[in-house]
Amino acid sequence: MIRVKNLSVAFDGPEVVKNVSFEIGDGEILGVVGESGSGKSVTALTMMGLVSEGARVTSGEIYYDEELLLKAGTPRDNALYREYLGRKMSMVFQEPMTSLNPTMKVGKQVEEVLSLHEAAIEETQRESTVPSGSAVQSDVKCGEKVPGKKRKQYRERKEARKQKVLEALSSVGLKDVERVYELYPHQLSGGMRQRVMIAMAVILHPGLIVADEPTTALDVTVQNQIIELLKKINQEQNNSLLFITHDLNLARRLCDRILVMQNGCIVEEGITEEIFQNPRGEYTRKLISAVPGRTGKKKKLRKEIGKALVEVRDLSVFYRENANSLFGRTEKKCVVRNADFSVYEGEILGLVGESGCGKTTLSKAILGLNKMITGEVTHHSNAPQMVFQDPYSSLNPSKTVGWLLQEPLRAQGALDPSKAMTEAESRAEAIEMLKRVGLEEKYFDRKPSQLSGGQRQRISIGQALITRPGLVIADEPVSALDVTIQAQILELIRRLQEELGTAFLFISHDINVIYQVSDRIMVMRDGRILEIGETCEVFEHPKDPYTRELLR
Amino acid sequence: MKRIAAWLKKQNKYLLVGLIMTGLAVALGLLSLVWTPYSPTAMSSAERFHAPSFRHLFGTDNFGRDIFSRVMQGIGTTVTVSTAIVIISAGAGILVGAVTGYFGGILDEAIMRITDAVNSFPSILLALVVISIMGSGKQNVILSLGIVFAPSYVRIVRSEFIRLRDADYIMRARLMGVSKWRILFVHILPNIFSVFWVSVTIGFNNAILAESGMSYLGVGVQPPDASLGKMLSDAQGYLGRAPWYALAPGLTIVWIVLGFSLLSEGIRRGAISGKREVE
Amino acid sequence: MKYLVKKLATLILTLFLVSVLAFLAFQIIPGDVVTSILGTEATPEQAQQLREELGLNKPPLVRYISWAGNVLKGNFGNSYRYSKNMNQMMPVSELIGDKLPVTLSLAFLSMIFIAVIAIPLGVFWARSKNRVLDVILNVGTQTAMAVPSFFLGVLVTYFFGILLRWFSPGRYVSYEKDFWGFVGYLIFPAISVAIPKIAMTARFLRNSMLTEMHADYVRTAYSKGATERQVAYGHVLRNAMMPVVTFLGMIIAEIVAGSIVVEQVFGLPGIGKLLISSISTRDFPVVEILILYITFVVIVVYFLVDVLYRVIDPRISTK
Repeated sequence: MIRVKNLSVAFDGPEVVKNVSFEIGDGEILGVVGESGSGKSVTALTMMGLVSEGARVTSGEIYYDEELLLKAGTPRDNALYREYLGRKMSMVFQEPMTSLNPTMKVGKQVEEVLSLHEAAIEETQRESTVPSGSAVQSDVKCGEKVPGKKRKQYRERKEARKQKVLEALSSVGLKDVERVYELYPHQLSGGMRQRVMIAMAVILHPGLIVADEPTTALDVTVQNQIIELLKKINQEQNNSLLFITHDLNLARRLCDRILVMQNGCIVEEGITEEIFQNPRGEYTRKLISAVPGRTGKKKKLRKEIGKALVEVRDLSVFYRENANSLFGRTEKKCVVRNADFSVYEGEILGLVGESGCGKTTLSKAILGLNKMITGEVTHHSNAPQMVFQDPYSSLNPSKTVGWLLQEPLRAQGALDPSKAMTEAESRAEAIEMLKRVGLEEKYFDRKPSQLSGGQRQRISIGQALITRPGLVIADEPVSALDVTIQAQILELIRRLQEELGTAFLFISHDINVIYQVSDRIMVMRDGRILEIGETCEVFEHPKDPYTRELLR
Repeated sequence: MKRIAAWLKKQNKYLLVGLIMTGLAVALGLLSLVWTPYSPTAMSSAERFHAPSFRHLFGTDNFGRDIFSRVMQGIGTTVTVSTAIVIISAGAGILVGAVTGYFGGILDEAIMRITDAVNSFPSILLALVVISIMGSGKQNVILSLGIVFAPSYVRIVRSEFIRLRDADYIMRARLMGVSKWRILFVHILPNIFSVFWVSVTIGFNNAILAESGMSYLGVGVQPPDASLGKMLSDAQGYLGRAPWYALAPGLTIVWIVLGFSLLSEGIRRGAISGKREVE
Repeated sequence: MKYLVKKLATLILTLFLVSVLAFLAFQIIPGDVVTSILGTEATPEQAQQLREELGLNKPPLVRYISWAGNVLKGNFGNSYRYSKNMNQMMPVSELIGDKLPVTLSLAFLSMIFIAVIAIPLGVFWARSKNRVLDVILNVGTQTAMAVPSFFLGVLVTYFFGILLRWFSPGRYVSYEKDFWGFVGYLIFPAISVAIPKIAMTARFLRNSMLTEMHADYVRTAYSKGATERQVAYGHVLRNAMMPVVTFLGMIIAEIVAGSIVVEQVFGLPGIGKLLISSISTRDFPVVEILILYITFVVIVVYFLVDVLYRVIDPRISTK
């Protein structure tokens, strides 16, 4: 179907894709797996002729059904690509939020694919159905002379296009398609938007569909549905699918064959199950082991559970809806309902739930950052600290690492003179913490902008722990990181928890991460805590149907 | 020397050209305080309406005065007046914007209503009104334009503080128990400087344009203080006979304003490319 | 709907605030109005009489209420300076009435220049890939933005009036006598007001389009097989125009201000000239009304722009 030969791509600097060759067979699902910066997206975008103008193809060729699409050294044939894109090959992108035009009805956006290729499709149909083109041509000329007929024809075509769009929308599992056709992207949920994107990609039955991280921005349950949909389309239309992902588990569920990429090179290639059973490359092995699975045997809950650090009793959290209405008639909306639990000394309590289920709101209420609550939160230790998801916004960009690590000590000293430290003392303390989180002393004078995401997250954790709080709330601390880095940070959290005895409330949407790290688990949905219990207990005997769905 | 050359190469052209243009203007203005080629007020009926030459770089006016010397003095007034205006308005902007942005509440609401009202009014008109109340003259021009431009700084500083108030790292600083004032001025303030410097250079532009506009209308700086706007309005009557008389002060204003806008463009781009490096 | 009501309420509140400020500001000024009208030789009795006539002997609050009440009824008071004849005072409304069309026409004409020239220029600039052209437009617009409108007025007078003799500077043609002559004269001041704003708007639109061209949905459009032209006009332009609408609304205040200064350069008998002369002669009733009036125009325009924005942006209108 498609053949990529010795492809290399460079932007300004060194090559980001190096000598990559692969083929995709008819009806095959090929997975490309790699971490960010591995060159997987650039490869796909180059193949599709969509890579930004700064990129240069330094070597290689790309064939589609034995027809040459792209060759290094010759400029990209944009006209040829336009003919192919949408009709013979199409793409589904990662961010369904921003990948649709916000000011155009979604129906129109799907329909655009049809109108762009209408002329070309009619021509091929004419060629294939009518042997002598002359008769048809004169017929068309006749039609053009009668404006009324032309207008009628135009209207019929438009109606036919709309009908086809509606069919495509319902084929991707959307309901009430007449209404959906008239909606704008912001009126749809993330999953619906991604369905619209898929409808756009499959409406002309292209031979190849490229899906670049199509489920990464979606919740787990929606993710499952989209994967099923892609599988179904592949079976029904028998087109090839190139599935790009950082998530090995997803690739395993969907793909026939897998390529593993690292630093722009293909480091492993093979049938999916073979790769998982018997990985040859070192990197692949590392990748597979880094994936938080539920494979490792979970040890029983430590017996020496301490006293409660935080007791949450019948806590409900609200937020004001429509706060800027004229007469101040605000409606209180309940985001967290009747939460009731405690975090004990020296444990890691995992809180799992999808986006919007209220987990972040709950954590902020515990910290006292949210004032609209009923019920009570009692703290039995000093002020808890927090670690956030985004490593790029959780460190003050204008300060150095050393300053950031010393600041909590300075603040502590200002509040409680008995704990005040001299500059030298706090510096020593900061350097010790720097080493504890696995960084060398040379990082002391760097700014956050000079650190990688993983390093920043280490500093954040160090900053949270330096005053030795009893409890740290970690809100999705590894979700923005690559799998291998993710594994390192989880390891670090577990180690520090054992060394310092700090309790963690660990929040994540990823049940596998939660499994790896927690002693006890809390499952949350729509603001309610559905289930709470020891990790192995919950995993082996989930009580709630939703938990079972998550564990699937 | 090599270091300087390397540094220059790294800076963007906007910043460089802007620095040269404003630097030259400021230098001439400062120089005029101690020296001008001719006395700006010396009249000579023999030398009326001389076209620009090496003797008189910008020519002479209807009284035979040297235009270049008078322009130098005008630059001096413009630069000192606009600096004072920017200091007043930006200083007020930082203080009020920081406090209202971070704390919010009723005070914030009230101040926003006032800045909205002021911003919806053309700035030069507002300055005219204030001048008509206080009377013209250098101090009053500074004070009135300082008041008029303050709300725009309040707006910028406030919105930056609101943006950063809920940033993750500020939330964490609060959890660490850092005091409010320390968060305001040690944690947040350094992070808004690039935005702030851009608005300061734009503020210079607005101040220069407003100051010269007011002098042109005859309600700004009064003689004996020299001013470019006043020169321009005097020169307008002799446009046919001595176009250079009008062009000299006019083009000087364009030069300074262009210099400052290139400077702000340079800072803005520098800040953006700096951010890109980070990412 | 709720939004509209709220916006209208703010609009009225702003007008009220401005009216209070405008009124109070002229109560605290140094110098007595009475002396300035009658001169220093007036007897105390004459002064007292005038004071009562003008209502100046009542407390400020009472005076504000009666003034505001009159304004609401359409009675704008009388000018201190101008009079119809020896024993009849000049109502402010009459004074402003025949000057309004001049200023409004000037602002309107400038706005047309801006819309007609800046938008195509911005789109053309964003789509052009010619580097030389880009530098020329960049330097050109930067320079145009740096020219104060009164100097631009002087330049236009010099080139079109003195060198080319396309119009006679200072020979204003009244719209009552010769409407097309009036428009012909007005073109030149309108150019002076418009040029810097054209440069600003074109730059703004260009930047807005370039930003949008990097958006994800643009890549999606290309992935459907659309040409660059189809993407630019079918997808990018509409999204890029949204902020430009707000921007155009915002520079309306500037255009009004620009018109007022430029009137001075070209000797146009508009609101601006009246305002400047009333300020220098301390004719406060006139100044107060003019301030209120200009504020009213500006915030009504803001309001309309805001409403327009909400109509054309489906993200807001379909909420």
